Amino acid sequence: MSNYIVENLRKEIEAFKAEIKTEKVGHVMEVFDGIAKVSGLSDIKSSEMVTFAGGQTGVALNLEEDAVGVIILGDFSKIKEGDEVKATGKILEIPVSDSVLGRVVDALGAPIDGKGAIKAGKTYPIEKVAPGVVTRQSVDQPVSTGIKAIDAIIPVGRGQRELIIGDRQTGKTALAIDAILNQKGQNMICVYVSIGQKDSKLRKLQTRLEEGGAMAYTVIVSAGASEAAAMSYIAPYSGVSIAEYFMDQGKDVLVIYDDLSKHAVAYREISLLLRRPPGREAYPGDVFYLHSRLLERACRRNAKYGGGSITAFPIIETQAGDISAYIPTNVISITDGQIFLETDLFYKGIRPAVNVGSSVSRVGSSAQIKAMKKVAGTLKLDLAQYRELEAFSQFGSDLDESTKRQLERGKRSVEMLKQLQYAPVKTEHQVVAFYALTKGFMDDVPVEKIKEFEAGLIEYTERNAKTFYKEVLETKMWTEKGEGELKKAIADFKASFSK
Amino acid sequence: MAKISPKNIAEAIYCATEGKSASAVEPLFKRGAQLLKDKRMLGKSREVLSALEGLIEKKSGAVRMKVTTAKVLNLAERKKVEEQVMEKYKARTVIGEFFEKAELLGGMRVEVGDEVTDTTYKNQLRQLENFLMR
Repeated sequence: MSNYIVENLRKEIEAFKAEIKTEKVGHVMEVFDGIAKVSGLSDIKSSEMVTFAGGQTGVALNLEEDAVGVIILGDFSKIKEGDEVKATGKILEIPVSDSVLGRVVDALGAPIDGKGAIKAGKTYPIEKVAPGVVTRQSVDQPVSTGIKAIDAIIPVGRGQRELIIGDRQTGKTALAIDAILNQKGQNMICVYVSIGQKDSKLRKLQTRLEEGGAMAYTVIVSAGASEAAAMSYIAPYSGVSIAEYFMDQGKDVLVIYDDLSKHAVAYREISLLLRRPPGREAYPGDVFYLHSRLLERACRRNAKYGGGSITAFPIIETQAGDISAYIPTNVISITDGQIFLETDLFYKGIRPAVNVGSSVSRVGSSAQIKAMKKVAGTLKLDLAQYRELEAFSQFGSDLDESTKRQLERGKRSVEMLKQLQYAPVKTEHQVVAFYALTKGFMDDVPVEKIKEFEAGLIEYTERNAKTFYKEVLETKMWTEKGEGELKKAIADFKASFSK
Repeated sequence: MAKISPKNIAEAIYCATEGKSASAVEPLFKRGAQLLKDKRMLGKSREVLSALEGLIEKKSGAVRMKVTTAKVLNLAERKKVEEQVMEKYKARTVIGEFFEKAELLGGMRVEVGDEVTDTTYKNQLRQLENFLMR
């Protein structure tokens, strides 16, 4: 055995050839709070990777007349004044391979889940120009999130950027996790980027994904709250680079950035330390570009360029519901729609606390399957009318029949959109439930029994309306025959339910 | 208003003194020192001098090199290194500084400006270490 090791080692050493080249070298002038000012490095490029004498990596961000401002990725406590800094001539890149699936990695792509090294494949630069217009295709395939309120009213398509926005503790992460859990068997790779989150929260999330069997198609990129701001700054770019690796293989990828508010705060910290001029809310002038260049990398590529897509779910945390703050308005304007979560709804027991009135999907409806479009087409309008009538009805009790009917239907719609956490609903089940609701089959079911009715109905129709399910799954629409079968099944179930 | 850097002052001193006789230069130096005092930049005088030195070397086509070896180089070896550097950087003169460091084990490290060519055994062993770790 020892001979084998020695022999292999000898072979390795014989294959080694020392590289002699002229390198650009600078020296550390000062180090503070994860930033180093470096003299020399006259030909360095912006965002170029540098290595310090102790092996730490940095990225050149500020190119000044006599010095270079470098953000240090990792432990900066061992870097001293006068230390040598080498330019690598490369933009910061991370290792990517298929083996990254199921793993938790840091912002530099190194594993942090204690499951050993990840077999290296290629390396991808973390900063890349977004795909151009020629390579793109319009969004026309749905991302099934399994959340009824989203799939029915605010549908998201593959390649879309849909913002999840809300105050703290309104269920933003839960929504994203549900979306990941629902991708099982949907031919979708998921990348969850955790920015500045507590390690305990990340652990809980990882366990939840493992329990749901979702880690098999998921990668978690984490820049924890205890890590340097530089790591939080690069984490989303690393996440999208991993996503691009899979998209380049023609796969569909869902990326969740949790959350971009903390990302902007990390960038503000770096910018202020680099002495860049502060602007509104002390953010630097290029904070819009920070997010626009990241989210522009989400796209759906056409078949000529290999197909594949990156769907982005950026998350923004608002303060006391203020969506007119700097970062929320920026990201709202960049994305193709937003899902608003409200504290009031959350505490009223309407969970997910999606405000369907304020939420919008700008490109999603074209990505909705025909069957869903047909059953949920009028739902948003019905709910808007219900909210208006609900406010109006509080002033008087003398209401006409049609108003009363609309109010009753509205109550049932709201009840129907409620959903437990980690319980995504399949698209075909949603179609059946919404069909029953919009066709008035639930109008005489007591509101408090809607959930029970829905669960029972799905179970019953799965057994007794097989043609309908088959049609929806295969052709994304139903025929008269299938509809007739469903109607009968619903009526039968209702009769047994009433008893 | 733009901040005045030591490099700006060095450039100003160089432009004002270029091609002037020693007697004409003396009052200019005094005014230069006064400017540093007025601008509260006396603490930066070392940086100004270093920038001025760099500027003079650049204008005169001189290159400053720092050579570190494990053993002392003899005159012929030093001359050879100087000639090589002169040729590579198309310099008119080379200002050489030679140092010895036993820990380099062998080979030579040549620094010109922010460019470093390192052929030392220590560097090659470090490369081997990285290669084997990969």
